[in-house]
Amino acid sequence: MLKRKYLPHYLMVAPFMVLFTVFFLYPIVSGFFYSFHKWNAAQPAVFIGLDNYRTILGSRDFEKAMWNLATYIVITVPLGIGTAFGLAVLVDSFTGRWAAFFRSVFFLPVVLPAFLAATIWRWIYTPNFGLLNMIFGWFGLPSVNFLNDTGVMLYSLIAVDVWVSAGFNMVIILAGLKNIPQELYEAARLDGATRFQQLIHVTIPMMSPVLFFVLTYGLISALQVFDVPWLLTGSSFSNYGGRRGALLFPVMDMMGRGFGGVKFGEAAAYGFLLTIVIMTVTAGMFTIRAWRERK
Amino acid sequence: MTDIAATPRTGIEVWSILRWVLAILATIIAVLPIWWMINVVFSVPGEPVVINPRLWPTSLSSGLGKIHMILTETEYLRAYVVSLLYALLTIAGVTLIGSMAAFEFALFDFPGRRLLFSLVMLSLMVPVAVTIIPTYLLTAELGWLNTMQGLVVPGLSSAFGLFLLVQFMRSIPRDMIEAARLDGASHFDIYWHIVLPLSRNALITLAILTFMKTWGNYMWPLIVAPRPEMYTVGQVVGLFNSPYSHQTVDVVMTANLLAAVPPLIFFLIFQRKIVEGIAMSGSKG
Amino acid sequence: MKMKTTLTNGVAALALATGIGAASQAGAQELQYWVYSDFAQGDALALQQEFIAEFVKDHPGVSITITGKGDDDLTAGQVAGAASGTLPDIFMNATSVGAQLVSVGALANIHDQWMAMPQEYRDQFDADAIATCQPKPDEMYCIPYTGFGSLLFRNLTVLEKAGIDTSKAPATWDEWFAQMQTIKEAGFYAMPDESLVFNSIAAIYAMNGNPAEWGIDWDTKTTRITPEAMAATLQKFIDIKPLDSGTSRNDQATKDLFITNQLAYHETGPWVDPTYRQAAAESGLKYDFVLVPGLTEGSHGGIKSYEIIGVAPGPNQEIAFQFAAYVAEKNQMLRWAKLLSRYNANAAAMADPEVASLPLISVSVEAVKDAFDTQPPYFVQPVPSCYTSTVIDFASAAADGEMSAEEGAAEMIAELNACLQG
Repeated sequence: MLKRKYLPHYLMVAPFMVLFTVFFLYPIVSGFFYSFHKWNAAQPAVFIGLDNYRTILGSRDFEKAMWNLATYIVITVPLGIGTAFGLAVLVDSFTGRWAAFFRSVFFLPVVLPAFLAATIWRWIYTPNFGLLNMIFGWFGLPSVNFLNDTGVMLYSLIAVDVWVSAGFNMVIILAGLKNIPQELYEAARLDGATRFQQLIHVTIPMMSPVLFFVLTYGLISALQVFDVPWLLTGSSFSNYGGRRGALLFPVMDMMGRGFGGVKFGEAAAYGFLLTIVIMTVTAGMFTIRAWRERK
Repeated sequence: MTDIAATPRTGIEVWSILRWVLAILATIIAVLPIWWMINVVFSVPGEPVVINPRLWPTSLSSGLGKIHMILTETEYLRAYVVSLLYALLTIAGVTLIGSMAAFEFALFDFPGRRLLFSLVMLSLMVPVAVTIIPTYLLTAELGWLNTMQGLVVPGLSSAFGLFLLVQFMRSIPRDMIEAARLDGASHFDIYWHIVLPLSRNALITLAILTFMKTWGNYMWPLIVAPRPEMYTVGQVVGLFNSPYSHQTVDVVMTANLLAAVPPLIFFLIFQRKIVEGIAMSGSKG
Repeated sequence: MKMKTTLTNGVAALALATGIGAASQAGAQELQYWVYSDFAQGDALALQQEFIAEFVKDHPGVSITITGKGDDDLTAGQVAGAASGTLPDIFMNATSVGAQLVSVGALANIHDQWMAMPQEYRDQFDADAIATCQPKPDEMYCIPYTGFGSLLFRNLTVLEKAGIDTSKAPATWDEWFAQMQTIKEAGFYAMPDESLVFNSIAAIYAMNGNPAEWGIDWDTKTTRITPEAMAATLQKFIDIKPLDSGTSRNDQATKDLFITNQLAYHETGPWVDPTYRQAAAESGLKYDFVLVPGLTEGSHGGIKSYEIIGVAPGPNQEIAFQFAAYVAEKNQMLRWAKLLSRYNANAAAMADPEVASLPLISVSVEAVKDAFDTQPPYFVQPVPSCYTSTVIDFASAAADGEMSAEEGAAEMIAELNACLQG
């Protein structure tokens, strides 16, 4: 029984919750339902129990994709945040016009549509003749096949990824830097701390809430990485993931199974497996934070 | 860094030079790829693109010719209108509906509040690809294929938007709300006249992020609005990006560049707001 | 011309016979027609609209909306449309996704409608192309439309500088390989890396000459690739590795190398021709295109593939098929071929003197004869993505010297069978 005094609250929440239920909750629940079915979206679904999950867990593509994802995340998230942090410190060392200028310029790649970024980088990565290999050549380094050498491809992706996303995180970190009281630095300086020591003992601890946000957000988006590797490898629904699946990631595999193989039940099951991974990682992040705060 | 530690005075000098070197280097890395693409568009046709990255545009007229061709021969201008409308309506809906809900979740307590809010937050972790087909089928059943409401409405309940606004609104002092209530303001008045104006920055941030997301959204418009009269910019660009198309690379890149123009203009005009807005969303986290 | 009038008269008579009731019902008939994006741009679009106008004139009350889509977007859109019951009435796609489209019920079986067409109409088409649309005797899912056979583009300037007689194309693999070595010695790149893309691997494999050794046997779920033929193919990749540019045949860099006279040969389809023609006009590129040589003189490598027109099942199927048949008819295909210099499955149109004299078409007509289908058989089952990626993986691994040709072939085949069965 709703109490009358709560009615205004429910009325205000209602538009969001109704839309959320219809266009988000219902599709999730129905996706969950279909994940136990053989279903191509056109014909009636046939219940097959856990077969979809079994197929996925037993497939080498899944193993490959998860392994790629783990390696990718372990490198790209810290590297991306580290770069963003470096850029923020750099911008912070300037004042006035120049600070604003560099801040805008470093942010520019964020605004670019993913397709453009991927195309340009495919050119830059061209073996033998591309811009990057040309620069390597000046230093007498051999040509690298950035997008076809399975040992290098992941790093090529990470570089693009950092290029695309560093500006976004930089801006967030920059604001955090501005919020650190100057007195803390002065106190540290009086204690004879070097610039580097100030960074370690003042800046980073003061920034931990901001870094936590950047880290969590970065992790959740990295777990769902899709468009940049899809475009870098020139993937299509019938063939995706690049050479030897070196740039195969779960969301790509899921889309391929859905639209390429027309197995939407299997794609849904894949999605839930990935959801479990994302939830575990996020829960882990919050547990670590709670544990650290208690300390 | 060891230099800095050893001799503070020269350290400062080294740093003041080093920061310029680093900043200029980073500027080159950030800008060069974009500049290169512009040069491909404004180049004499038939020139190599990849193997000799030219640093300057070689033919302004040829670039303008391509832009003119694309704008007149394809439905690019209409696609701009569709995309803009799609983005603006989504922004309006997301900010309005989201702020109404965030107002309640952030500032009041009512039975079921925690449960509903955590339900929404959990949904943040479900990849879009899981829900895209069921959502599509639902939209089709509603008869909304090839309509603006089909594009917009399913995206209005943004869990991320709610999260962002709740984070911000939590910092609004309760005293202000109590004071307004004592002055006889209604529940809706408090939302409309007090909380909304105070949340201006957060709403702007959400609007900007929503713009970037809708402008770049490809898969959803592709399946929900397959008719040409409802093509978004992303879809028109997709026409040029087919691997076996007859188009030459400079034309393809022109089509792509045109898609990047509105977000770039948007960014240049609102850059301070954007940067401050994004910064705020993080520091409140 | 004659054909067209008989056809349209027939349809008009049919419309009259069924009376005014049908005509007024037809007033509501609005057909959606999806084509490849480059068919919905510029001159190609204008011609398609001409076809539509002609058809609509003969079929009052019908209106047809043409929509261009990128390759993958066609498939995604058709799958989604099948799921929600909002399929386009007539659409193009690649033969290779035919099986997926049949499995979701996007493609109507047009066998009876096809057989009801006059014999002389059916005889216009390339028999092999028609066969790809007919997986079983009483099933037909498409009308073959445009297509391609592999062409070997030659940069004449590079060949001349390397001292190679350009008056005739290499007749055999041995001759071609000897030329490639000369080209490399003269300081140029002979070829792109053919081991990086499925279609270029298939094109080289096709030199072995027996189409029965290519594709998938769906009854036993095994590949038809033989260890001997694949080992011979992989050996070719190993041999040309030192001579190639390291770029794939689809890379922008490959085209750039070709137009700047650094690359001698580019094996690909006719879609690069506009780029090369533009370069010829702007910077004096000298090039031509010939057939991909085979192992022996007179045989040829290379692949072929067709785009198809399909019709969705449903109330509009009859009129949609009539339109598809109209567009694929000789008269239209003739105009289409003349406009774009592109080969298509209407053999009668290809034999027309005016079209047959277009170099791109005359070479394509020859190329298609010996070429392999890319992924036969069609319309049986979707080829799993692991199949294509396995072929590419082992081809490039062998080319990189990670394994011998024999090892690579044996492992590849084992893996392909595992992929098909798993």
